[in-house]
Order: sequence, then C-alpha cells, then structure tokens
Amino acid sequence: MTRIKSDEPTGWFMIFPALAFVGTLILYPAVNSFTLSLHRIYMGLPALGEPFVGIDNYLHLLQDPVARQAFGVTFGFVILSTILEIILGLGIALVIHEHFKGRGWVRAAVLVPWAIPTVVASQMWRFIFNDQYGLANLVLFGDQVSLYVPWLAYPGYAFLAIVFADVWKTASFAGLLILAGLQVIPEDCYDAARIDGANAWQRFWHVTLPLLKPALLTALLFRTIDAFRVFDLVFVMTQGGPGDATQVIQFYGYKTLFTEGQVGYGTSISMAVFATIFILSLFYIRTVGSSLLKRETI
Amino acid sequence: MFPCYSGIEAIFFHTMKFLIILVVIGLLGPTPFTFGTDRSEDRPTILKFVTMKPDQAKAWEEAIGRFERAYPSIQIEREIAPASSTAYHDLLTQKLKNRDPSMDLFLMDVIWPAEFAAAGWALPIDKQFPPSEQAKFLPGPIQAGIYQGHIYGMPSRIDSGMLYYRIDLLEKYGFTPPQTWGELVVQAKTIVEGEKDSQPGLRGYSGQFKQYEGLVCNMLEFVGSHNGTLTSEDGNRSTLASPQSIQAVTFVREQMINQLATPAVLTYQEPESLAVFVQGKAVFHRNWPYAWGIVDDPRYSKVVGNVGVGPLPHFSKGRKVSALGGWLYGISTFSPHPEEAWKFIQFMTSADIQKYFAVKGSLAPSRIALYRDREVLETNPQYESFLPVFQTATPRPRTPAYPIISNILQRYFSRVLAFPDTDILKEAQIADQQINRYLALVHPNPS
Repeated sequence: MTRIKSDEPTGWFMIFPALAFVGTLILYPAVNSFTLSLHRIYMGLPALGEPFVGIDNYLHLLQDPVARQAFGVTFGFVILSTILEIILGLGIALVIHEHFKGRGWVRAAVLVPWAIPTVVASQMWRFIFNDQYGLANLVLFGDQVSLYVPWLAYPGYAFLAIVFADVWKTASFAGLLILAGLQVIPEDCYDAARIDGANAWQRFWHVTLPLLKPALLTALLFRTIDAFRVFDLVFVMTQGGPGDATQVIQFYGYKTLFTEGQVGYGTSISMAVFATIFILSLFYIRTVGSSLLKRETI
Repeated sequence: MFPCYSGIEAIFFHTMKFLIILVVIGLLGPTPFTFGTDRSEDRPTILKFVTMKPDQAKAWEEAIGRFERAYPSIQIEREIAPASSTAYHDLLTQKLKNRDPSMDLFLMDVIWPAEFAAAGWALPIDKQFPPSEQAKFLPGPIQAGIYQGHIYGMPSRIDSGMLYYRIDLLEKYGFTPPQTWGELVVQAKTIVEGEKDSQPGLRGYSGQFKQYEGLVCNMLEFVGSHNGTLTSEDGNRSTLASPQSIQAVTFVREQMINQLATPAVLTYQEPESLAVFVQGKAVFHRNWPYAWGIVDDPRYSKVVGNVGVGPLPHFSKGRKVSALGGWLYGISTFSPHPEEAWKFIQFMTSADIQKYFAVKGSLAPSRIALYRDREVLETNPQYESFLPVFQTATPRPRTPAYPIISNILQRYFSRVLAFPDTDILKEAQIADQQINRYLALVHPNPS
C-alpha cells in the first residue's frame, strides 16, 4: 500500500511534461476548434454576435454543393495519386533493392523529390506546365509553339497535373517504406522457390508480393492520410481553379476560414476532414493490424 | 537503483540547466539596452506599418526615409506581407481579429474598408480628413473609404482597368483604337489572321481570368459595359442573372476565352498576362496603370514605342466601364499611436510624395491637381487619357461581406468560362441565390 502511495505522485510528476505538452498543444486546440464549429461567427460582421447554433454548420456542410464537389475532388485525388504512388513506389523499391554498381547514389537520388519542400516543388511544376515557357510543352512539342497547351487552364488536365506533381514528389517515399518490407523477406524463400522451378515472375507474384503485404499496407496508410491533407500543391499551382476543378477540401476550408472569415463554418470543414482521416486511419489500422497477426500465425 | 532512473535524472538536470540558462539570458539580455536609452522623451515612437510587397520598393524606401527625416521623433518599422492582395488581407484580418496592438498602420484594398469599418478594425478619420480635404481627391477612392457616413481610409494610389494596344499593328491594318468590343474582336481577328505566317503565336487579347480577385475586376468591366451590374443599385440583391449580364458573360466565353485570348488566360494573373503582351504576343491587353512602367521599359519589353493605352471598349449598346482598384491608408483601432500614424498618412498622401511616386514609379496619384502638374505629365504623358477613366471608375460591391461574395463571384465566372458546356443562366441564378443569402446578413445596407 505505502509503496503505491509514494510512487503515484512521482509518476504523475514524471508524465506531467508529456501531459502538459499534449494538453496545451493538441487537446486544447482540438476541443476549442470543436466548440468554434458549433457557433456562427463572421469575422467581418461582429454586429451579428457569435451565436451558438448547435450542429447547424455540419448540416449546412452536408448540403453545400461546393463542399461536396471539393470532397469529390479530394477523394479522386487521393485514390488516383495513392494507387500510382504505390505502383511506382513498388517499382522503385524493387530496383533499389537489387545489387548493382552505384546503388547508393541511385537510392539517394530517388529521395531527392521527397526532400524538396512541397511549396518549392509546386512552384516548379507550375512553371513546367506553363503555356509559354513550360518544360512540358517543350518536351512534347519542341519548337512548334502553336501547339503549346495551357495545361492548367483545362479542368481535367489541371487535376491530372496536380496528381502528377504529387506522384512525382512522394512515390519515392512509398518506395522507401516498401524497400524496408523487401529487406525483411528471407532469402530462403526465394531459394526454395527457385528449387521448385519458379521463374522470376512467379517468384514475384507468389513470394514477394504476399510477404510484402504488410509493408504495402503501411505505405498505403501513410500515403492515403497524407494525400487527404493536400493543400500546398493546389495553393501554389492553381488556387483551386479553373472553376473549382482542383479545389480540394482543405483549400476550401482555408478559404472559408481565413479569406472569408466564416470562422464557425470553416472550422466545421476542418473537423469534417479530421473525422474523415480518423475513420480512414481506424479502418487501415484494423486491416494492417489483422494482416500482421495473420503473418505471425503462418 | 534502476539504471533508467539515473537516465531520467540526467535528462531532468540537463533540462533544468537549459531552462536556467534561458532565464538568465532573458533577464540579462535586454538590460544593457534599457539602461542606455531610458530617457523616454528622446526615444522615438515606433510605428509598425504592415504593408504589401511593394511594386516599387526603392520609391517606398525613399518616401519613408523622407518622412523619418521630417519627423525625427517617429520611426517607421515595416512588416512586408505577400504581394497577393488576398494573402495580405488574410494576414491583416488575423492581426486585427487578435486586436494586435503592435500594428499601427496598414493599406486597404478599395474593397476592404466596408469590412474593416463594420468589424471595428479601422479608425474613422472624419475629423482629420474633412469633406473639404476629400474634395481634392478623385471621387472613386474617397467613396471606397466611406462606410455608413464615416470615412476610414485616405487614398494612396488609384488603379483602374485600361486597354493597352499595339499601335504598329493597328496602323499596319489601318485601324484606330477600338471603341466597342465588337470592333476589338474584328480588329484582333484581322490582325492575327494577317500575321499568321510571320507571327504564329500572336493572340488577339490577354487579360486576367484565373480564379482570383482580378477575375471579378475583368468581368465587372465586361458586364458593366453592357449596362449590367453585379449587384443592384441599393446593394441588396445580386443581379448576375439579368439578360445584360448573361449576354456579356456569353460574349467573354465565346469570343475572348475560346478565340481571341485562348484558354491560357484562365491561368493568368497580372504578371503572366503582361508577359505575353510585352513579348509582343498579343494585340490587345487589359491591365492596371502600373503596367505602363513595364511596357515602356526596354529591359522588360520588346514593344517599347509601339504601345498605346486608353479606356477599355464598351458594347455598342453600353457605356465605358473600368473597374476601380487602388489602395487606402488606414489606422488600426488597436494602435496606441493614432496621432503619429495620422502624421505619417498625411505625409505619404501629400502632393509631394504622390508626385514622387508618379514620377519615379508610375503609380497613379489620387490627388486631382497632380493630373495638371507639368512634371508629372512630362514623365507620364499617358495620364492625360487616364484621368477621365479614373473619374468614372466603377467600384466592386461595397459590403462587409465582400470577401465571401467575391469568392462566389470568382467561382461563378471561372466555372462558366472554364467549362464551355455549362448553362450560364443556371449558374448565374445559383450564384445570385448564394450571394443574396450573405447580402441579407448585412443590415442596414451600406450606401
């Protein structure tokens, strides 16, 4: 009894810094944001007061066609970019897993796009897709200036341009995660497969891929969550245009909250994003977790 | 003892040591300075001026330097915000919402004073800036600074949409500057067709049609010059679905975006559209007066000496309309130094300084008298044709809810221009509904 009594205060004392950190920097803002999202607040119209409106903002969000479109664009972006990044990442991982001369250099080079700050990379891609001096046009059409395409002016191309820029930037990160998975696959499995007469394709399909599943799922988890938070690419490359074709939900939330000064509604958009990511993470953690368990029982 | 215990202990002591060092630095650091300058009368008042990234950085530095020499008891400390008006607005409203007392002064885009006044962020300056003084300025920016009978801003420079054109190309084909949009289309098509072989990249028109604030200005000019409006006279209703407005938007989509200008303009703000023109790749160009300084500078421009500038055309059944732009100085309600801030504003908007900005930086003055000043006109002969445009420039809707309404307008215009299959009338009706919802929030209405 006495032992427990004397230990408890020390314990609290020990975890106090961590608790204070989490409390002030994570818990308090989150709770505060949630409270804000239950009020109607127009920054430029203080005469209207800041009335409590319950879940009105959330109901409005469900009916807001702009928000619906923004969610659509975001999901489209997440699905397309994540699939491409996993496929490309797998390719990158398989290449840099092999032994060859200069592998260290290749491994480092592959990570360069990932190391560039997104804002800088976005600006670069905006230049690349420029209609006058863009590299994309030069590569495709050479000096036939009359064929040059203003990529970011067409809704479809503008959307694809953003996906493209994101894939370029983060496929190597997915590759890195998958490489870690490749490195833990024991050589014996391949030896056994070879003895059984499996060719390279069969070894990949029946040995590498199943054993790589946990790593692939981890990469998928990270990339989905990260892609859902996309903001800077859109902010720099298109500002959501043309005609909202590239307006992702985070950018819409930013505009509502900071530019328009609709604090309550803008916060409810952020909370909706938070909830979506939370649900996605739970779903993934369950799937990834169960697959890891399965692997242990094999 | 557990080995980890000593580890935690070590970390604890290291942290404490670090904290103690921090505290000591904090206590000792400022003391030498405070000792030295503790004579409060001699210490200059520091005014913090949050400003946008200036077009003419050197001219600003010189003007502020002159002020500090004239008023040695006041020092100006500048915080430079991004060059985008929207990003600057975001920064200012954040500071104002937090009642930041460290900011004394700012600039307001002509679309902000209603919001800043309604929110209680900008100080009214009726006493210092009476109607007798206001009469010396162009009417547009003065009106922009007034909200519910009080004035909140003092005009710095004025902007309004202008048509830049290639004199050499117009003369070659025997044209005079177009008076109507119809004439502009015919002239541009003839010239582009005629120059097809020698200049394959030549376009008829370049303007600003990206989804941003500038799109509202460009479209206001088309809609207005077809006798349409964005909002009704009393500012209570949105009028995008009126036939005049719909026809003007249809014209822009069919004639401008999909023909003369090419869809590339859907990605252009001012710099990109100007780049096309100064490279000699557009016959006509819409921009603000500042563009003249670049068009006329051989370091940036390939068309020096071949460019004319004048009022924008109108539709044959309409009148000339040019969007009002420009900046006003405002004093923060939370500033502890409103009197010193006023001195600075008075100095910066004086005839001398405005003249300096006009001569050095091609920034159009807001004082009417300067348009008769010989020195100003010598360096800026184009001002002669600017003045009538400035005197009649059309403001964007004046309401505290403008930031919200602008985003709806941008969405509407950008959608119907970028998606050629959209039903303009239907989109306009949706936008009207959305805008009316927010206009209804603001009572009583600004006038």
